[in-house]
Amino acid sequence: MSDFLQNLTDMVDEIKAMRDIIITNIVLIGQIPAPTFKEKRRSMVFMERMAEFGVDEVTTDGYRNPIGIIRGTSPDKPPIFVVAHLDTFIERDIVHNYTIKKDTITGPGILDNSLGVGVMMSLPIIFKRLDLGFESDIVLAGTIQSLGKGNLRGVRHLLKTWPTPIRGGVCIEGVELGRLNYFSDGMIRGEIECRILENMGGKFKYPADAILILNEIINEIMNLRLSQRPRSRIVIGKISGGANHGKVAHDANLGFEIRSDSYKMVKSIYSDIKDIVDGIGHENEVDLNIKTISNLRASRLKFNHPLVKSTASVLHSLGIKPISKSTESALSIFLSRKIPTVTLGITHGENYYSENATAEIEPMFKGIAQVIGVLKSIDQGVCDENQLA
Amino acid sequence: MKTNWLDNNTFHHSAFSDLNRLVDVKQRKNVTISLCLPTLNEERTIAKEIIIMKSELMTRYPLIDELVVIDSGSTDNTTEIAKSFGADVHDANDILPCLEKFKGKGENLWKALYITRGDIIIYLDADIKNIHHRFAYGLIGPLLLHDHIKYAKAFYDRPISIGKNKIRPTGGGRVTELVIRPLFSLFFPELTQIIQPLSGEYAGFREIFEKIPFPIGYGIETSMILDIYERWGLDVIAQVDLDRRIHRNQDTKALGRMSFAILKTFINRQKRLGLIDLKNHLFDEIIQYNLVNSRYKPDTLKIVGHERPPMIEIPEYCEKFNIRNLDLKIG
Repeated sequence: MSDFLQNLTDMVDEIKAMRDIIITNIVLIGQIPAPTFKEKRRSMVFMERMAEFGVDEVTTDGYRNPIGIIRGTSPDKPPIFVVAHLDTFIERDIVHNYTIKKDTITGPGILDNSLGVGVMMSLPIIFKRLDLGFESDIVLAGTIQSLGKGNLRGVRHLLKTWPTPIRGGVCIEGVELGRLNYFSDGMIRGEIECRILENMGGKFKYPADAILILNEIINEIMNLRLSQRPRSRIVIGKISGGANHGKVAHDANLGFEIRSDSYKMVKSIYSDIKDIVDGIGHENEVDLNIKTISNLRASRLKFNHPLVKSTASVLHSLGIKPISKSTESALSIFLSRKIPTVTLGITHGENYYSENATAEIEPMFKGIAQVIGVLKSIDQGVCDENQLA
Repeated sequence: MKTNWLDNNTFHHSAFSDLNRLVDVKQRKNVTISLCLPTLNEERTIAKEIIIMKSELMTRYPLIDELVVIDSGSTDNTTEIAKSFGADVHDANDILPCLEKFKGKGENLWKALYITRGDIIIYLDADIKNIHHRFAYGLIGPLLLHDHIKYAKAFYDRPISIGKNKIRPTGGGRVTELVIRPLFSLFFPELTQIIQPLSGEYAGFREIFEKIPFPIGYGIETSMILDIYERWGLDVIAQVDLDRRIHRNQDTKALGRMSFAILKTFINRQKRLGLIDLKNHLFDEIIQYNLVNSRYKPDTLKIVGHERPPMIEIPEYCEKFNIRNLDLKIG
């Protein structure tokens, strides 16, 4: 493996020589709008490109996740998965035209996750040109319905129905180069909806205001005592409501996320929030609802797991400092199914969620080299004898 | 009027998406292909055009042999970006420097004939926001696969960009519908079958382009159609549906200036063909009015309408391409 790590730095320039093809893939896939639940056109282009690149098998699973399979040399070795989610936060009516400058690519959704998908689509041709072969089949999957209300349905289905054991996995995200995610917190994302009909709350002097009701709920949530161990956190991430400045708000919505090392703790906090919502709804005689948008169980690889250690070595060999944080993404679905997996970022960027999201071109080549390094590690067996705790 | 041209010579780009086939035919016919992008301050779109064309039609499929950018003196980073992505970039003023210098798209296209080497030349505007390699292979296809076709012109849906990240689904083509199509209907009804005569994307054989004059400005698209039609007939022309092209919207006054140049080109050709007889010369200035402090003030712009002669009449060109006589190769 150390020889391979040595070669990895030389590989960066060879990958850079394929810059035009890689950027073309990013642009061609990224310019197709793919908000969650509307990924069909992007899936078709993904499969067309895979077929054009001579991938051995191009298909979809039963949930319509598009998949390309590069056959390995040892049919008895389980496959290695590479996944990048196809969907973006950007709505279909936003123009998805990308601008390429000397050092950057700018466009809606590029960082989350069009760049990741474009890079994954480029892997077959990169492998071919670098003459890289694997013992395992490499399964390249563009997963659908990942974000928000999609609740990672695509990857959940893909892994649940895959007929064979899976050797290991790499999840690709556009940014940030250096991320080495190998654990996921337990998480519940929820929404609280307040609706006040015109004739509700009539017995009070002043009519109830949906925004003020939510404000009261926020205050109560802030009063909750969260445990230090297991580490727990509540994020109030989204709020909307009302019609105009001078009118009492008849509707309002609050989006929140609970995270913890322990999923049991997440559920307990959710239950506390539900009690708050029920109580305030009852006392104010307003229509208050709480619902779960998505949820994940906590799961992790140990820091001394061979995949984590070998991934860190790959990053170090390329001069990249690994940074590890929890991630609430496809990784947790892999880990919950006991498949050793890491999430890697490809490049650096800014304005992540705006229409002017911008990715740097140059770091991308190291980002791709690290993915190849990790795939080689898995192919050489770092995941084979270590089950997850 | 010949009306079956529309059926016989209209294609969809998907008919030419088998790039291996196009490469085979190209190699069998021993044809070389050049792509020219005329530019003037196109830093937002030029890199994308170069990268996609190079990746798909040069690196992956050897369909295009050279990619040339001819710039009219951009003041932004167009030329620097184009060079950094591997294009062969030329300042129009540096090409054939012994000739009088003009500035305009037609000038760039004409000078590209001298700079490029291909038997087929594709011209693509450099401001296409949704560029895809179909814009090139769609135009090359008819030229390679249909021996009688010597010139292919694009048409498409034309959503127009109406502000930051917003488009209007249909629109554009106002000059076509208000100026060109009425003129064609009056003088050359057959040509009305060309859906978008002003589209900025076309490809053709050098043997055609080198034998026609090039207006230096807006009139280039109209003159090209009229001259090819007059000299070789409608059957050598094809049109290809490229689906969708997103472009910048232009205000009415800019379209007025464009129409002025086109009308001038058109009328001069009609005069030359003896189809009309003008008692007076045409003026060189378009006069438009602006409301300034409640008063209308004229805004005058001179559009002379210079034309470059057929390139084959330029001695330096004949020398470079070893052309010893002016015999036409076709028609």
